[in-house]
Amino acid sequence: MYAFDIERPTTVAEAVAALKDEDAQALSGGQTLIPTLKQRLASPSKLVSLSGIAETKGVSADGGTVTVGGGTTHAAVAAGASAYPALAALAGGIGDPAVRNRGTIGGSVANNDPAACYPAAVLGSGATVVTNAREIAADDYFQGMFTTALDEGEIITAVKFPVPEKAAYIKFEQPASRFALVGVFVAKYADGVRVAVTGASEEGVFRWTEAEAALSGNFSAGALDGLSVSADGMISDLHGTGAYRAHLVAVLTKRAVAAAG
Amino acid sequence: MEKFGKAQPVKRVEDVRFLTGQGRYVDDIVPEGALFAYMFRSPVAHATITGLNVDDARSADGVHLVLTAQDLLDGGMDITLDSTAAPNRDGTHGAKPERPVLAHGKVRFVGEPIAMIFAETMDQAKDAAELIEFDYDELPAHLGLATGGQLVHDEVAENLAYDYGIGDEDATQKAFDEAAHVVSLDVGDNRIIVNSMEPRACFAEWDGSRMHLCMGGQGVWGIKTNVARMLGLDPENVRVTQPDVGGGFGMKSFPYPEYFVCCFAARALGKPVRWTADRTESMLTDNGGRDLTSLAELAFDADHRITAYRIKTISNLGAYNSGFGQMIQSFLFARVMPGVYDIQTAWLNVLGVYTNTTQVDAYRGAGRPEAIYVLERMMDRSARELGVDPLELRRKNFIPVAKFPYQTVTGENYDVGDFNRVLDRAMELGDTAGYAGRKATSEAAGKLRGMGVCYYIESILGDPDERVQVDFEEDGGVAIYVGTQSNGQGHETVFTQFLADQTGIPADKIRFVQGDSDLIAKGGGTGGSRSVTTQTNVTLKAVSDIVTAYTGYLADKFGVDEDKISFDDDTFRIEGSNEAPSMLDVAAMARDDQREDLLSFKAVDEIPGRSYPNGAHIAEVEIDPETGKVTLDKYTVVDDFGNMINPMLAEGQVHGGVAQGAGQALSEHVVYDEDGQLLTATFMDYAMPRANDLPFVAFDTEPVPSTRNPMGMKGCGEAGTVGSMASVANAVQDALWDRGIRQVDMPFTPHRVWQMLTAAE
Repeated sequence: MYAFDIERPTTVAEAVAALKDEDAQALSGGQTLIPTLKQRLASPSKLVSLSGIAETKGVSADGGTVTVGGGTTHAAVAAGASAYPALAALAGGIGDPAVRNRGTIGGSVANNDPAACYPAAVLGSGATVVTNAREIAADDYFQGMFTTALDEGEIITAVKFPVPEKAAYIKFEQPASRFALVGVFVAKYADGVRVAVTGASEEGVFRWTEAEAALSGNFSAGALDGLSVSADGMISDLHGTGAYRAHLVAVLTKRAVAAAG
Repeated sequence: MEKFGKAQPVKRVEDVRFLTGQGRYVDDIVPEGALFAYMFRSPVAHATITGLNVDDARSADGVHLVLTAQDLLDGGMDITLDSTAAPNRDGTHGAKPERPVLAHGKVRFVGEPIAMIFAETMDQAKDAAELIEFDYDELPAHLGLATGGQLVHDEVAENLAYDYGIGDEDATQKAFDEAAHVVSLDVGDNRIIVNSMEPRACFAEWDGSRMHLCMGGQGVWGIKTNVARMLGLDPENVRVTQPDVGGGFGMKSFPYPEYFVCCFAARALGKPVRWTADRTESMLTDNGGRDLTSLAELAFDADHRITAYRIKTISNLGAYNSGFGQMIQSFLFARVMPGVYDIQTAWLNVLGVYTNTTQVDAYRGAGRPEAIYVLERMMDRSARELGVDPLELRRKNFIPVAKFPYQTVTGENYDVGDFNRVLDRAMELGDTAGYAGRKATSEAAGKLRGMGVCYYIESILGDPDERVQVDFEEDGGVAIYVGTQSNGQGHETVFTQFLADQTGIPADKIRFVQGDSDLIAKGGGTGGSRSVTTQTNVTLKAVSDIVTAYTGYLADKFGVDEDKISFDDDTFRIEGSNEAPSMLDVAAMARDDQREDLLSFKAVDEIPGRSYPNGAHIAEVEIDPETGKVTLDKYTVVDDFGNMINPMLAEGQVHGGVAQGAGQALSEHVVYDEDGQLLTATFMDYAMPRANDLPFVAFDTEPVPSTRNPMGMKGCGEAGTVGSMASVANAVQDALWDRGIRQVDMPFTPHRVWQMLTAAE
């Protein structure tokens, strides 16, 4: 780890101001950033810790929407998002207890790791990412592996999830890291079905629109018979080829539909 | 048998310390003010060094010293790590290319040490490392399990380190020519990283005349010899210590470069220095395990009796010889090559090759798991091809009870064994009769199910003699000094409890001392499942010496003949006297009488022969054919460990061993890319088994006491690993057989199993 300064603002406004310095880096739960620093793969001059900002913490449910503060830990979502059980279950399945007690939804969604779980829930729910400056629809937010619509210094203050009629997330774990080798989030709304896939694509989380179309008419695993995604553009590494990941997308989507009931 | 009468499942006394953070590992006890060492390592697998400039690093903040190979040579150090060469078929010995502690001329694997930096803080040392200018011309990396290719060492033709053979090649060929049935199979044995919980670490300090090296290892004496040789010190002036050690598994048995460079630096600076590997550094530089491939063939007569066995193996040594690297897949593999079967005609040929990868050496079982893996995969395959039950084929070829002691074709003399009895109990405990029902249940859920068996035998290895010292101390307690080295197995519990059982001295009055070459002049260290057998054997000798000496002393003191005095493992009885002193009472009397000769006892003793633990493992797996995921669903072990000193700790050794074998079979997987870069260099990519990957292990024993040591025991430290690899692999093969899959090799990761299923469609 290289030396750095650290600031601990207590309001979003203070954090935004602190992040205006060149080479300043926001630090939330630190589950990606801290290991990166330890390996000397990043050298920010200043870290701005977001963990002391009370206004970005907590889960609330109101009128068919669950709102999760950007600084809310996975453990808090697992315990507090009972109005959206599939979301709570996803949060409770991230990493291990130590990760869930530190990692936050804002950190995960801002980082947009291609194997992270939360992007599947955000995109699969058609959620809205709320920042200090604006609101961004999920379909506009994710722009490729580790790439998002966030501007420099912009902070996620909350994510608003419309609660679906039915939903489920099924993850097939990479054997070593236990990240999603492939994860599929399926959500059925009154106006249609959304299917979001994480872990698989070189472009990061994506919607499987053919499956959405098939399921919107008939929300059953059988509706997916014969459907497959192409292995082109799928991640290929020592844990699985693109063909394997493409195969798992179809298998897990069926299982997610079955699990959603 | 009376020496076994008090065996008890005593809980481990050291666990409270270990589990509450009170363990004292190397990094916990470094001297005040020790400088931090950081190793600058090769970023490439194979290159000619064209420039190495450490000037800027030397002048960086906080840096006290930077050492290169040239600096060590200029300082008069012998920079070559030694190794044992395997015998070649032609009577010569295997290659011994120089293995320097710091690279010069060439680098031969990613992570090879190049320069060591000593600074006041670790950050300063790392900052300085970034200032080192290292120039090189990259060479192609030789990575495959094959001879030939780009030479790793110019002087070693074809990259062939050794060509080992044992058995009768011609007689074996003749038996194959005459066989009614021949079965052959390629058996790969994947490379693993050992991953001890505590990484390798050391500190070194120099007081002006003596060197003290403290490091995590499996015995202090071999390292001491090497420190003396390489630094040109009188052995009297070298002290090596080993405190608590967090796992060794064979990997920590051998010398590594960092220890000796730290000694050189401590002497040059007159300051203590400390080094602890980080996790990726460990994964890059700790000796690896396994990494071989074998073509195995069995010849059978018309009645399905084995008439000959032949194996051709290629074994990866890595870039250099590690201490015992050449001996693992050759001589040690051969110890149990024929396993538990009556095979008197065999031929084993092993080629050891150099590659641009990290060194490979002993890993829990060291050659014996590899041999049993090949043989038990072969027995399973043979039964399938011959169309007979795999257990019946084994029973037909077991060495019968009447043939013991049994001289094997590779030179071992098995003392006892009753393999049918052990297998019977395993089938009962593992409910093999209920397997069909479990398979039907799995199939109803869309899963494939398989059952696999391994019947293993082990030969305990290592130095057959061992030493002990028992001191009666002034505070009324006792100290026991041992020649073995716990790596977490529970020696403190076992050896103090054993002495307590034999002498009546309360265990909590016994102080356990290990791992200090100043206090213990010689010892065999820990490895090869030798520790409990050799250490308790010599402890019995010491107790006998004490009883003899105390009997003479009491006879004089009480004016009776020696034959009027007896000791019942607790109390001395003196005929015609009401005195009944305990051993500690007698020691106190001797102290009062100023009989120093009765207060310290040293003993040396050699076990009469090796023991041969054996047993049956039965694994059941369930496979999800849609994803390829393998679940180890049911596991049964029945061992013949002879008499057990502490059954609870023996069972714990089996649990850990099974986890390591199952880990290799199901998830552990070392991957290098085509340039020789290690892709599995963190736990994000290297999959260790976790608790929830394993079922509860049903365990029982069917003891047939060994006749080769007074306790009648058999070593248990490696057995779990030896049995588990083949049982799991055979279960996976069983589950996949009906899908037409005929070649299954570890590791059975979901992706690899899915590929097998897809290819067979």
